[in-house]
Amino acid sequence: MNKIWIIIKREYLTRVRKKTFIISTLLFPLLYMGLIFGMGFIAEKSKQSLHVALIDSSGYFTEEKIMAQNLADNSSLITLVKAKPEAVMADHKAAGYDGYLVIPSLDWKTGSDSLVFKADKSYGSGSTAAVEAKLNRIWSAIKNDSLQIDGEKQKILSQRLQVSSYNIKDEKANAKTAEGIGYVSGFLIYLILLIYGSQVMMGVMEEKTNRIAEVIVSSVKPFQMMLGKILGIGLVALTQFFLWIAFVLIVYNVGIASSSSGMVSQMVGTMQKIFSSVNMPLILFCFGFYFLAGFFFYASLYGAIGSAVNEDMREAQSLSFPITMLVIISIAMMSSAIADPTGPVAVWGSIIPISSPIVMMARIPFGAPGTVPWWQLGLSMGLLILSFMFTVWFAGKIYRTGILMYGKKPTWKEMIKWAFRKN
Amino acid sequence: MALLELQNLKKYFATQKAVDDISLHVEQGQIFGLLGPNGAGKTTLIRMITGIFYPDEGSILFDGKKFDPIKDVGKIGYMPEERGLYKKMKIGEQAMYLAQLKGLSHSEAQSKIKKWFARFEMDSWWNKKVEDLSKGMGQKLQFVTTVLHEPKLIILDEPFSGLDPVNSNLIKDEIFNLSRNGATIIFSTHRMEQVEEICNHIALVNKGQKILDGTVKQVKQDYKENLYSIGLNRSLIEVSELAPFTLAGTREDSLIIKIKDGHTPNEVLRFVLDQGLSIHAFNEILPSLNDIFIKLVEGTPTARQFQPVQA
Repeated sequence: MNKIWIIIKREYLTRVRKKTFIISTLLFPLLYMGLIFGMGFIAEKSKQSLHVALIDSSGYFTEEKIMAQNLADNSSLITLVKAKPEAVMADHKAAGYDGYLVIPSLDWKTGSDSLVFKADKSYGSGSTAAVEAKLNRIWSAIKNDSLQIDGEKQKILSQRLQVSSYNIKDEKANAKTAEGIGYVSGFLIYLILLIYGSQVMMGVMEEKTNRIAEVIVSSVKPFQMMLGKILGIGLVALTQFFLWIAFVLIVYNVGIASSSSGMVSQMVGTMQKIFSSVNMPLILFCFGFYFLAGFFFYASLYGAIGSAVNEDMREAQSLSFPITMLVIISIAMMSSAIADPTGPVAVWGSIIPISSPIVMMARIPFGAPGTVPWWQLGLSMGLLILSFMFTVWFAGKIYRTGILMYGKKPTWKEMIKWAFRKN
Repeated sequence: MALLELQNLKKYFATQKAVDDISLHVEQGQIFGLLGPNGAGKTTLIRMITGIFYPDEGSILFDGKKFDPIKDVGKIGYMPEERGLYKKMKIGEQAMYLAQLKGLSHSEAQSKIKKWFARFEMDSWWNKKVEDLSKGMGQKLQFVTTVLHEPKLIILDEPFSGLDPVNSNLIKDEIFNLSRNGATIIFSTHRMEQVEEICNHIALVNKGQKILDGTVKQVKQDYKENLYSIGLNRSLIEVSELAPFTLAGTREDSLIIKIKDGHTPNEVLRFVLDQGLSIHAFNEILPSLNDIFIKLVEGTPTARQFQPVQA
């Protein structure tokens, strides 16, 4: 037992002290936030304010109505062309427009769904949508005038009914928030399994390549060696998590302290709303459980592969492909589980141990026992515990033989034979 | 008293009888040479002694008691042929880690590492990484980590490979030192001249079986062919039917003779003197271990054939 601790300590410290760990821990949240804000920023930037020449043959569009909308919304500019429409059509650039739109002679009762915005280059849907929206508001004003609807009546007409789902068993579960949390936690587990799983594999391969394996197994059992490695690397992953959580909490608290600034206080408010709308303790507990158990399940398999191959990275890739596929299939199942958290894919995916760490984490935020009955959660956890105990045992057997074998790359069939050999 | 006693050890793999009924007896303080061609089963045998493999059959007695890998590995130091260190780890930490895995406490390990590093003039290495070391330096470090915890039994598999003569001598002296201080050493190699120099007892393994076991002196006596070299004032002599020896060859200024069965060196000398020749040298030629090794192993295919095994 004592020796496993020594191994865990080494595996943990050598990784945590590496510059790459510190950098990736710091950069991941920054990159993640940068990605979210950056995408919004780029989308905003890439929207162009179009100057559109409107050539009206219907006679409904008046200068006055267009002006009113241009004043209310500057995401595009519409100008009614009265004189020489041919000149604009021939060369809209010279006339100072980005493009032009011809309204045919039409009836206000039927309208038209085939208007074409013509321009000398293509514009993104974000830019043309602004034009369309403005045009429709002008069109509404035209119809309102024709129907003699005043401001009061307009307000009444624009009223809508809104429907959102509400789980009567779980007072807290809110579908939108649950979806978001489900996605994030499922995706994080997916990342952990792949990144840290392959770290285990690389670590074992390193021991083989450096020829230190035999030196170590003359002091400790191969099983202790493998377990120490898995636990040590698992702790590294946990550490990274805690650092991220700490990061979020710091941002959160700083936000509260300086809640005068509008945007931050809005963010804090949203976060408070998110946290109070779901069963946070249950989600955190399940996250911890599925994170660790799923990691044991997959990391031991990756470790077994690392022990079986030689220094060749390609061998490792071809052997680990089936394992990686299982993780990727899980993330594919997660999407449909979030879309329908009580459907058969979601239920089975969250019970079968291969996919349960990811799929169950996507379902849990929808609430237990409302969406996930207790028996399903219990069965899923129980099966996962049994399975990871099996894979750790199985991997230990392969590891013991593989770590001292050099030469030909074994097949999965041979590795399974190693596992079930008597001694 | 025997420190290590192997009784009828067997280890069969799917396609090979790696170790097929080997018994050995290693005395306390001995430097024991474990010899054999490639693939003879030496490594498998050593792995059973170090607790890495369990024998299929047979038993191992260590220090008079049944060998218990979990308890006894702390008393064994093993330097495998396939050896290495963590490249990215600092040298001091590396030695510390391996020492702690052998059961030393932090402070114990620290003082012992310091002592050994000073002895090998490695003091300035502590914070260097293994990847910065030359092969020979790495080998020295490897040796230190093997013997650091003062094991009763030290097993060295090709310890001199990659070492220059100066460092080889350094390690050799340490091996003698450790042996004088009571450690028992099992030394596995193909280099027979090193065996003759270092070992006092040898065992030869081939095809999973022990084919020779004894002290170096005894083995040489057992395999001598009654060859003598005799230096005369003439380079050619008549050897009649009556002579107690036959001519086996010539060297620069001496003849090599083989004494016929039932005759003694004294008879040879008398015969030569009777012929009126003057003798300026006469000595026995003992076979080198190399010769014995080749003689015994010759004829076995260089690579062991795979064979079906009925365990």
